[in-house]
Parts: sequence; C-alpha cells; structure tokens
Amino acid sequence: MKLEALLACFGQMSCVVTQSTSALIIGMLLFLVASGVTLIFGVLNVVNFAHGTLYMLGAYIAYTVYQPTESYFLAVLAGAIGVGIFGILFERFLISKVYGQDVLMQLLVCYGVVLVMDDLVKIIWGVDFRKMSMPVAFRLPPIRLGGGLVPPFYLFLIIVSMVIGLVLWFVITKTRYGKMIRAAAVNPSMVSALGIRTPVLFASVFGLGAVLAGAAGALAAPVRALTPGMGFSIVIESFIVTVIGGMGSIGGAFAAAILLGFARSFGSVGFPLFVDGLMFLIMGLVLIFKPAGLFGRAPR
Amino acid sequence: MQSINKGLPRAIGRRGIMTGAAVAASGLAMPNIVAAQNKGAIKVGMPSVFSGVFALLGQSSAAGARMEIDKINAAGGINGLKLELITRDSKGKPDEATKVVRDLVNSEGCEIILDAETSASAFAVQELVRELGVLCIHTNSETTSLTANPKLFAPTCFRSARQGIHDAIGGGRYAADIVTKKNLFKFVTAAPDYAYGRENTASFMEYAKIFQPKIEVLDQAWPKLFQPDFTEVVTKIINAKPQALYTALFAGDLVALIDQGLLYGMFDKMETFSVNLGDYGVLTEVKQLPSGLHSGTRYNRIVPETAENQAFYTEYTAKNKDHKICNWSWENATGATFMIEALKKTEGNTDGKKLAEVIKGMTIKSPFGTKGTLTMRASDHTVIDYVVGYGVTIPKDPFIKDVYMADWGPIIEHEADWKKRNGFG
Amino acid sequence: MQKNTLARDLAFAAIGLVALLCVPLLGSKAATNFIIYVSANGLLAMSLNLLVGYTGLVSFGHAMFFGAAGAYPFVLLMQNLPIGLPTGIILTLVFAAVLALAIGAICVRLTEIYFSFLTLAFQMLIYSLMMNLVEYTGGDNGLSGIPRPPFLGINLADGPTFYAFACTIFVVALVILRIIVMSPFGYTLRLIRDNAQRATFLGVNVMRTKLICFVLAGVFASLGGIIMALFAAGAFPSFSFWTNSGDAIFMIMLGGLHVFLGPVLGAVILQVLNDVVTHYTKHYGLFLGLLILTIVLGFRKGLLDFIYDRREAREQSALSAARKKAQD
Repeated sequence: MKLEALLACFGQMSCVVTQSTSALIIGMLLFLVASGVTLIFGVLNVVNFAHGTLYMLGAYIAYTVYQPTESYFLAVLAGAIGVGIFGILFERFLISKVYGQDVLMQLLVCYGVVLVMDDLVKIIWGVDFRKMSMPVAFRLPPIRLGGGLVPPFYLFLIIVSMVIGLVLWFVITKTRYGKMIRAAAVNPSMVSALGIRTPVLFASVFGLGAVLAGAAGALAAPVRALTPGMGFSIVIESFIVTVIGGMGSIGGAFAAAILLGFARSFGSVGFPLFVDGLMFLIMGLVLIFKPAGLFGRAPR
Repeated sequence: MQSINKGLPRAIGRRGIMTGAAVAASGLAMPNIVAAQNKGAIKVGMPSVFSGVFALLGQSSAAGARMEIDKINAAGGINGLKLELITRDSKGKPDEATKVVRDLVNSEGCEIILDAETSASAFAVQELVRELGVLCIHTNSETTSLTANPKLFAPTCFRSARQGIHDAIGGGRYAADIVTKKNLFKFVTAAPDYAYGRENTASFMEYAKIFQPKIEVLDQAWPKLFQPDFTEVVTKIINAKPQALYTALFAGDLVALIDQGLLYGMFDKMETFSVNLGDYGVLTEVKQLPSGLHSGTRYNRIVPETAENQAFYTEYTAKNKDHKICNWSWENATGATFMIEALKKTEGNTDGKKLAEVIKGMTIKSPFGTKGTLTMRASDHTVIDYVVGYGVTIPKDPFIKDVYMADWGPIIEHEADWKKRNGFG
Repeated sequence: MQKNTLARDLAFAAIGLVALLCVPLLGSKAATNFIIYVSANGLLAMSLNLLVGYTGLVSFGHAMFFGAAGAYPFVLLMQNLPIGLPTGIILTLVFAAVLALAIGAICVRLTEIYFSFLTLAFQMLIYSLMMNLVEYTGGDNGLSGIPRPPFLGINLADGPTFYAFACTIFVVALVILRIIVMSPFGYTLRLIRDNAQRATFLGVNVMRTKLICFVLAGVFASLGGIIMALFAAGAFPSFSFWTNSGDAIFMIMLGGLHVFLGPVLGAVILQVLNDVVTHYTKHYGLFLGLLILTIVLGFRKGLLDFIYDRREAREQSALSAARKKAQD
C-alpha cells in the first residue's frame, strides 16, 4: 500500500492530469465494450459471454486490413462492420435458439463459440502475437497540459468513444428505432403484436452490440498486442462494468466505466497489487447493496 | 425449470445400472487403457503449453527438439531404434502438467521426458519425476532455484535452459558498465507480477548494484501477465523520473509497453534495458523501435557469429514457417542433443539412472556455446558455457549490434558466491 | 418407500465401490489415475449440482471451495502442523463450512444472474488475495509437496492404498449426498427451485434453506479439493480459478442436471475428452467448442437428461397407446 504516493499525486497538477487522462482512456474503451454487453442484456435478456471474442475479432480484422492499406480509418471501419456481420450471424444461428432459456444454456453457447473462435484465430493468424503499428498521423510527441502528459492518440480515442457514445444515446432515446428497442426491452410480445418483426429487431440489436465491441477492438489495436484469447480479460472487465452500472443501462455503463478507469489509474499509484481485487470488491458491494446497479432497473 | 417429476425416485436399479454402464462405457472408450506398446521406437514425452496465450512455448519447443530428433532418425536412429516425440498440452497448469507426465510415462510408454513446461509447472514435474525415475530434461524453466536448491535435487533431472542467475550476472555487468559510462544511476523496473518476473528483476538489480553500487531503484511496476493496458505502468515510470529502466516483460506485453510508452515519450530521457527484447518474434513485430534500447540476445543468429550458428538459424527458419525462431528453440534443441548423445553412449538403454550417469558432466559441441561447446555441470545438473549476451537493438536484421558476450569465469565465481549467500551451499 | 430406496441405493453403492476397487486388477495405471481425477472433479460437480440442479442457484464461483477452501488450507495445514491426515481433513472441511457460511449469507439474498455474478466476484476476490499472499500460497507456483503421515495403519503415500482411499471417500460422499437429496430437505430444495413463492407460503424459510445448501455444497467441494491435493501432491492456482468453476458447470450440463449421477458422468466425459482429443489433435478448443454447441443446440440438455427424457416420452406414448387400446 502506498497511500502517501497517492496523496502526493493528488497534490501535483502534473500527476493529476496524467493519471486522469489514463483513467479516461481506460474508461472510454471499457465503456465501448460494456455498452454492447449491457445493450444486449437489456433488450434480449442474454448475457453475452462471447463479447470478448467479438472484441478480439475486431482487432484482428483491423490488423489484417491495415497491413495492405495502411489506412487506420478503413481498418476500424472493417473491424466494426465485420464484427457486426459476424454478430448478426451469431445471433441468428446460435443465440436465437436459446432465447428464454436459463443462463446456463446461454453460457454454454457463448463458451462454445469462444473456444471455436480462439482456435480459429490461432489457425488463421498463428500462435505468435501480432502487432498493428501506430498510424503515422499519430506518431506525435505527447501534449503537455498543466505539466502532465496527454498523448494525442489517446485524446483521439477518448473523443471518438465519446462521439460513439453520444450517437448511441441519440439513437436509443431520439429515434424511432430506439423506441422500438426500448419497447422490446420491456415487452417483446407487445412489440411483435404491433407488427414489428422482432427477429429482425433482435438481430439488429445484437449486431449493434457486436459493432461496438468490434469498433473498440479495432480502435485500440495500435496499442495492443493481438493474441488468440485476448478477449478473456476484456469480457471479465466489461461484466464488472455492466453489473456496477446496471444491466440494461447505457448511461450506467458509462458512469461505471469511468469510475473503474479512475479506480485503476489512481489505484495503481496507491495500491498497485490490489487493483484487480478492488474491481471485484466494488462489484461485490454493488451487488450486495444495490443489485440492480447504480442506474439499472430492479431485477425481474 | 424442468418438471417436478424428475426428482421422484424411480427404480434405482434401472437408473443406476444405466448410469453405471454409461460411465463404464465411456471410460473404456479411452485409448489409454488399452495402450499398445510399440517396441520399435524410443518414445520421448514432451509436456508443454500448446494453447492459449503461451502457445508459442510449446510450438517452438517441439520444433527445436524435432530438429535434432529428425537428424538422428535420418541417420538410422540409435542402435536401429528411432526416436518418437510425443507432445501433450498441459494448458499451463502445474497440476495438469503432472497429470500429463504421468499419462506420458504410464500410458503412452514414454521412457524419457523433455520437460518443455513453464517454470511453475517444472517444479511440479521435478517432484513427480523423482517418483517415476525416468530421465527428465527441463528445457525452458529459467528459475535458478530449480537446480540451485539442493533440497530440490532429483538424480535423473537436468536443465538445458539458461539460468536466471547467469543472465543476471552477465546482464548486470553490462548494464553497470553502460550506466557508469553515461553517469545514470536511478533505475525503475517493470516486470510481470509472477515468479519469473520477480526473481529475474531482483537478481538483475542485485548484480547491477554489486558491479556499480551507485545504482538505486526508485520504483517498481508489476503489471499482471498478459494484461492489455500498460498505461498505469507507463505513467508510473514517467512519474518516477528515472534515468534508466529495466524490464523483464516479454512478447506481447513488451511490445504493448513499447507502443504505449512511445505515446508518452517515455523512452526519450531514459536508458532502457529489456532482457527479452532481442527476440525475433518481438523485433519483427515492433513497428516503431525506439533507438538505443539494450537487450539480452536470447537467441540471435550472429551471437555467436559462427557458421554453425548461422546454419542452425537457416535450417530452423526453413523448416518452421509458422513461427519465428526464439530462445526456446535452441534450449530444446540442446536438451534433445544431450539426450541423443547420452542414448548413443548407453547404446539405446533408456534407464533413467544410466542415462543420468552419462549426462552428468557431459560436454557437447554446440553452436550455442561461447566457445563452441556446452557442458552439463555435474554438481547441479544445469547447462553452462552458453552465450549470455547483451547488445543494442536495431530495427533491421540482424536486429542487434555492439554485442557483448559475458565471460563465464566471473559468472561462475559470482554464482558460487550467490549460492553461498542464499544458503544453497 | 424412503427406506426401500435407501437400501437399494446402498446396495448399488456397495456394488459400485467393489467394482472400482477391482479396477487395479486390470493393471492399468491410466485407469486408476483417471478414476481418481473423476472422483475429485466429480465431487466438485456433484456439490455444485446441489446448488444448480436441485435448488436452481447457479454459482459461477464454486471452485473457490475446491481450491481456496479445500486444497490450499489442507496442504498448508499438513505442511505446517504436526497433525494426522484425518485431523487435517476435518479441519479443512470445518474451514470450508465456515467460509461457505460467511459467503453464502451474503450471496443467497440474491437471485438469478445477480447471485451468479456475486459468487464469481467472491471467487475472484479470494483468488486475487491468494495470489498476492505469495509467502503463504506460493503465488503462481502454488504449494508443492504434502506430508502424508500414516494413520490407523493406512499409508496414503502408497499408490494403491491411496486409490482405494479416494474411491471409498468418493462413494461414501455420494451416498451422503444421495441421502441429503432424497430427504425432506432435498425435496424442499426442489420446491424452492420450482416455485420459491409457494415454498414461502408453505412456511419454508427459503433463505435459511438456501444457506444450508450452500454450506453443504461448499463442504463437499472442499472434500474434492482435498482428494485432488493428495493426488497432485500440492495445491495450485488453477484449482481456485473461475475456469475450474466453468469446468464444473460443463460437467453438470454435459451429464445432466436432473439425474443424480449426471454430474459424475459429465466429469467422466470431460476427462475422456481431455485425454482423447489432446491425443489426436492440437485443436482441443475447436473440438470441445463444437461438441458443446452440438449438445446445446442438438440435445438441448445433458446426456443423461436427454436419455431419460426420451425414455419417459416413449413410456408416455406407450402408456397412452396402451390406454387407447384398452378403451377400444
């Protein structure tokens, strides 16, 4: 425990700026992934244990597209859309078969897919880790802000993630499609009775969640090592965020992700060895005192 | 859930017998129980990690061993018996590793074990081999105590891998010389938070300080193995305002640290010593290599710069297009070579004790030795005289320049001293 | 009726134990090793099924009782205290019960997915603590070596003796579990699983019953961990990691939730897969994944559940056909 270091950090502007930036970048990427998890649970009542695999695919697709084209933009687009398509297929052929069944069945279907995809990635891309290079546009020195450091690439990622978050919020709260999704989350049979084709709606929601995960994987690819099985740690963290924020609440996922980002960033200054334990502790406390999460609705 | 009827007791006889039959049938379906004994070959078992994030360990280990085994088989085998390598995946779990080794010896008929396991599993395997009594060569574990600690000694176990303490002495000397020249003494360390990371960092810094007492460690970062995000590590390093960095991170973690560190300009004002950077898998994937980074040479085709070493490199790379040659490749080839030479001497007798007697103290010709040979030290069953090198990394082949190869005389002296200080005799 | 089935169960258990004890006569170490693994993992799965199949509580963190409350404390006790094996076992089981009581008291207040996540949170929290206390738990190396002082003339350092010991413990534990499951308490569990509200109306203290079940499940899992620790001669981190909990759930799903011995069959299947598939291919994940998908989408239930449901469906159709005939 190095609490004096933590207090010292709060006193220095440079430390606060640097750590806060790192908190935001951790949080925003977490949010992108977790928003997909919470969306899928909120509307489809499915706990998508395969979400980390979607993230991994986004990263690998982006890497593959980047090699010949050297275009980060294309790589991210390909990653997001490619995983979106995969997500829709996954939903249509596998997930839809376990709607309404208990969580064990969902867990098994997702786990089966995770196992298969991890091996396929190993077969296609090899056991060695892969690295996507930093796009030339971002090979810049860090910006100095109040004595602290803010890497331009991270600033870019934070802004892009916020934009995506805002677009998501807009779609869900202000568009007709968003209304349909929210209605389906509360009463799917009524939505169907109103003539809306629920299978298409459900597939699109899952696809949207997948796009979010794929985009996160693709966006982060330049600063991550790509390995088969990289989805594992992501899925655990995104579940923690979803539980804390409230399953089904995108705003909750945002708040929880930022909270965890700060916990990790400042926590690693004060108590570096217990950061993981801290995340589970927070999740445990939330489950005990407010199982619905900070912003979620009460469990059915 | 399901209907309540399921819980009602039915005729236990029918249900029980059905279940019993199902259990027995599936048990007998295993090929292991009806194992055929193949007398036409000497079976060598290799437990390792072939799945998950560490899959490269198994792949390169098997490839390294196979290079030597294929050669001897092409030459007719040992006394007419061919060698057969049987690999099994322990998925990185020590308890699974013991199970795998048990299976390899008891059901697959393996008479020798080339233990290509991780360091954690190697301890468990050593315990088991003490009971089984077969020849076992640890080919990947670098943990010093595996052979240095006399309490762990097992008569038929050997190590053909590099040893942490040797690397620490050689690397510490190199680093001490460099920082003395450049007048930088404040260090920060970053290593994965598990036994290898902690021991490696501790011994390196210990020897760096022995060779240059002005060195001090300001702060230490311990990221979890395979964690994707190193931002906290980078910011911790920067906040400490060090003059030098030592990192035992490897593979994907190391590259992630480099990429994320570059974003913060971390390498600008710091001399970096990264023992695992000089690895082909890493250097070919790092797209932006900061200049002037020091690394251990692990395996490199020009260290030592001999025809034999280059030949090994060329042959291995041609045979293994699916992964890059690495440190594990030569360690396993060496383990296989010791095994083969021993079998030649015993004329194919695979008895653990006999083979152990022959391997003890054996010297073989090797492209990986500082003077063209490698010796399996009799006192503690570990290999010596292999290249302990350091140099500056460059982005293009051969990826290393200004190579320093440590002298083994001082290494042995310091090692003996270290053992005394740590109560290992 | 209760006594009748108990006699039959005991008879079956006795036959089973004798059969197991005869296996060493086949001369195959692979077979006896296999059975020991199945007994350790089988206890983990059976204990988990008390929660999942009989009470409807899906715990994602059950392996914590196998590892952190089973293998680890047992090895620590035996390595550091001059006690006999029976004492060590009993102390470990008591520790497991106390830990399960503490954790269960918090967890059983929740239902459904929230219960599952909370058990996972506890497991990972304990795992994180365990990994940090390197001096006590050996960190990622685990604890190696376990003293096995002979007791009552039984020396567990001897392979065949240990095999007999493990089999006996396994069968005795299964019998006890069977008695629990067939008792009024067991029926209360099923009642809670099917309709917790009705149970409350009938005067059942649902929370307390769930807690007792949680403690029992924890104790039996701990016993499985003790067997594993004795066999592997140590305690290792993977025993307490969430992937072990996941394996236990798959064993239950593969073998069948609603048949008593289903989880044991699942343990056998998973063990066979482990051995067979790795024998033939490097791509264990691919095959296991495809198999799981086939079972889930094709059978939609565990193997024994599937077999029994088919049989029951055929019985029903035979019955209704017979009734129709009688009517005609």
